[in-house]
Amino acid sequence: MSTALLARVKDEYGSVRDTLPPSVVATERRRSALEMLCAQGLPATREENWRYTNLRVLERVRFAPTLTPTGAKPELPAPLEGFSRYVFVDGVLCSSHSIAAEAGISVRSLRAGAAEVRLESPPIPALPETRLALLNEAFATDAAAIRVQSLAGMQRVELVFIASTAAEMGASYPRVQVTLEPGTRLALVERHLSTGDAANLVNCAVHVDLAEGSRLTHYRLQQTGLRTAWFDTLEATLAKDARYEILAVSTGGLTARSTVHVRLAGSGAEVALSAAALGDRLQSQDTFALTEHLAPRTRTEQTFRGIASARARVAFNGKVVVRETARGTDSRQSLRDLLAGPEAEIDVRPQLEIHTDEVRCAHGATAGMLDETMLFYLLSRGLSPEVAQRLLKWAFLEDVVSRIELPDLRRRIEVEIAGQMSEAASLKELLG
Amino acid sequence: MLKIENLHVTVEGKEILKGLTLEIPAGEVHAVMGPNGSGKSTLAHVLSGRPGYEVTGGSVTFQGRDLLSLAPEERAREGVFLGFQYPVEIPGVNNVYLLKAAVNAARKHRGLPEVDAFEFLTMVREKMRLMRMDESMLSRGVNEGFSGGEKKRNEILQMLVLEPRLAVLDETDSGLDIDALKVVAHGVNTLRAADRSLVLVTHYQRLLDYIIPDRVHVLVQGRIVRSGDKTLALELERRGYDWLTGEAA
Ligand SMILES: Nc1ncnc2c1ncn2[C@@H]1O[C@H](COP(=O)(O)OP(=O)(O)O)[C@@H](O)[C@H]1O
Ligand SMILES: [Mg+2]
Repeated sequence: MSTALLARVKDEYGSVRDTLPPSVVATERRRSALEMLCAQGLPATREENWRYTNLRVLERVRFAPTLTPTGAKPELPAPLEGFSRYVFVDGVLCSSHSIAAEAGISVRSLRAGAAEVRLESPPIPALPETRLALLNEAFATDAAAIRVQSLAGMQRVELVFIASTAAEMGASYPRVQVTLEPGTRLALVERHLSTGDAANLVNCAVHVDLAEGSRLTHYRLQQTGLRTAWFDTLEATLAKDARYEILAVSTGGLTARSTVHVRLAGSGAEVALSAAALGDRLQSQDTFALTEHLAPRTRTEQTFRGIASARARVAFNGKVVVRETARGTDSRQSLRDLLAGPEAEIDVRPQLEIHTDEVRCAHGATAGMLDETMLFYLLSRGLSPEVAQRLLKWAFLEDVVSRIELPDLRRRIEVEIAGQMSEAASLKELLG
Repeated sequence: MLKIENLHVTVEGKEILKGLTLEIPAGEVHAVMGPNGSGKSTLAHVLSGRPGYEVTGGSVTFQGRDLLSLAPEERAREGVFLGFQYPVEIPGVNNVYLLKAAVNAARKHRGLPEVDAFEFLTMVREKMRLMRMDESMLSRGVNEGFSGGEKKRNEILQMLVLEPRLAVLDETDSGLDIDALKVVAHGVNTLRAADRSLVLVTHYQRLLDYIIPDRVHVLVQGRIVRSGDKTLALELERRGYDWLTGEAA
């Protein structure tokens, strides 16, 4: 099966090769990425860290990117105050919807070719878990390259990626490269949306490079349509004392898989990943998060809250690897999954691999149902069972949502999560 | 207001209430006392419709209606309030959201429009002052990180806001120091009214110094074995329950 599929990937690559912009990914690099993928094969559910991903959808999608975005104006969420916005439709920058950033930061579309920009290419992903990024390397049609240089305060950028209805059975390859120079700060909002409900493939690759003492707060919202197969690979490297905070909320997609690989390469570097995933109907939501501690006194904090309703599947696999060189590491995991449907499926798995002494690792992982005592308490106050359940699900996610520091964004995420929980009207009332 | 006749209740296959009969007229405050394990909380829970309590016989009539046929949330909207012996903490569900949702659920049930948000908050704040509760508790999760006494006060606050027809307060006095007990008792007393009935479930007589009951009932092994006026509570305080346990057999 996989071989036939790979043959099709190669075929489709062959047919669009000449149209793929080398300014985004050099042709030679595209070719070697494809070769690597062929050597490794596509991921399969029999692999430990792909078990919960719905990979069968790959058989149905077309891999060649949709090359001509429609002129249709996508409907966009209201802009966030203080953020410059860049909109990508089917992976390509749509300049008419973009609001440029200020000095001190550069945000570029690499498709435009900007020959004067000599961006260092990020390393090609090499782990079995990150190999869907190779598909992005091969097919990417544009990339958002963000570089923060100014030490003057926090920079704010919003990237909106839209999978359009034009891309029925098509694919798009959102690609982001974020570089923070020493001591700089950036708040980045990355949203993935669909217009309409075309069946399509979205395969993102995000590279983050944080220099000494820099700080990135990265909000990632996945709200694509219910027929989208959404795959995502995020790779980050942190230098000394850099801090990376990821807040990810995933509610969309038919199948969504996010792979996050963070390398804490400099001493004192810290990553805090807080993720919430909601699965309803037949959705599958899968996250694999790997932190590699390579340097002394590095810190990881992983918080996950997932809810599976109806026949959905929600999984989180959080792996922490502490290398010999990483004495004084501190890692905490709090992973919780809620089973909210008789046919739903949940799985949370903390994995630890420690190669040195002198580390503090604490992890808690629970999977369970709604608390009956809490539910009855709410009913005894006159709330309907539907509202009570929704409220408790809501409360369950609060550990993650409460970390969103931008009130405007937080509010909107709250409303969107409320909206995802079917028949949300009365919950919105409660929030109002 | 409330009429319980020959009520039999089984929990996990074990009969706990064994033919309980009790009538509480409108406007009265009744105390139900009894030793640990006699079935007081079971009675409170079965009145509020908690799942897991199987009624195997008897009837409960509330304002002329069959209470047992109503779902828990319908009972609440009809004006039945249970003050829990062990109020649960619900982190992430905001106290004030819950209060407002509860009030609006009852109003909707009666065909009334939703409360005005501003008026509602003003009213809640006033009742919090009465309960000597810090306003910061409003924005916290329901009972989240509250001390035992704060949880009980929060129960009474909810009752004051909801203004039920029938309130069953399950050991609201336990775990309260004397000052908190007075505050709680004062709160409860403000709610005494001709069209409202209160049931105080308690193990000790202490609460009844501050909320004077019209009637006192003793529950032993699932039955009311004795009823009397407030002096019965004093007698129980002196003599304990042992002299009555024989009467249950
Ligand atoms: N959920 C339950 N499962 C099994 N037994 C229970 C349960 N709840 C109460 N009981 C039993 O029912 C009896 C009465 O309990 P309860 O009503 O809580 O008494 P009280 O409130 O008077 O102390 C006790 O013997 C107790 O062990
Ligand atoms: Mg009790």
